[in-house]
Amino acid sequence: MSEDSTGEIAVDAAALREEVKSKYREVATDPHGTYHFHTGRYLARRLGYDDEFVKSLPDVAVESFAGVASPFALRTLAPGERVVDVGSGAGFDSFVAAAQVGPGGKVVGVDMTEEMLAKSRSTAAALQLDHVEFREGIAENLPVADQWADVVISNGVVNLCANKRTIFSEILRVLRPGGHLQFADIANGKPVPEAAIQNIDLWTA
Amino acid sequence: MLEDIGFVEVRIGPPIDTFAGASGEKNARRFEVYGYSILARKPE
Repeated sequence: MSEDSTGEIAVDAAALREEVKSKYREVATDPHGTYHFHTGRYLARRLGYDDEFVKSLPDVAVESFAGVASPFALRTLAPGERVVDVGSGAGFDSFVAAAQVGPGGKVVGVDMTEEMLAKSRSTAAALQLDHVEFREGIAENLPVADQWADVVISNGVVNLCANKRTIFSEILRVLRPGGHLQFADIANGKPVPEAAIQNIDLWTA
Repeated sequence: MLEDIGFVEVRIGPPIDTFAGASGEKNARRFEVYGYSILARKPE
């Protein structure tokens, strides 16, 4: 992506946020629809998630998963850790995190899409995951106290935001000293034309 | 960018062909788009 000297991309951030919200509202309510990306159990298997664990989850916990790699590929969470999941969607990665940190840990998922929040909260309640909570918010302004988290995870979210530097600074704020950021995202090897970057519709097409 | 902001020990995993077989594959190939797992740490 083309960025200016501050790491921000020249695009209408608010309009982009609304476009992303609209797309992921669809993924929440119509998880088996046709998208430009894979979703659900097939995608989780492709990305290397633990197949036995994924099989143990109900369809509702997996079907709207739309990540791009695994935030757990380079480091497994430790029991007892406090985790923030930025852009938690329908909660799939939060549920993986909840299993890894165990009941002595805590997972806070943050998402801006009402339909995703409703789905993740409902699934967490059905799974009786008392150590998982979902909060409404955006990546640029996380509803989490300073230095609360041992780990921040995210999957396929930062690439959909215009203000990447703001997001990473915000993640740094909520992490304790020595804490880990482990996230998954996409990157392009060839430059995307400026006109395409400024076309909001193409960001989620 | 991560190191500029203050993260250390940044590690990037191997590329994952995230969009293979999906309708977004054509654009992903055009711009060499892959998924990556990334690990970094906030200094003590």
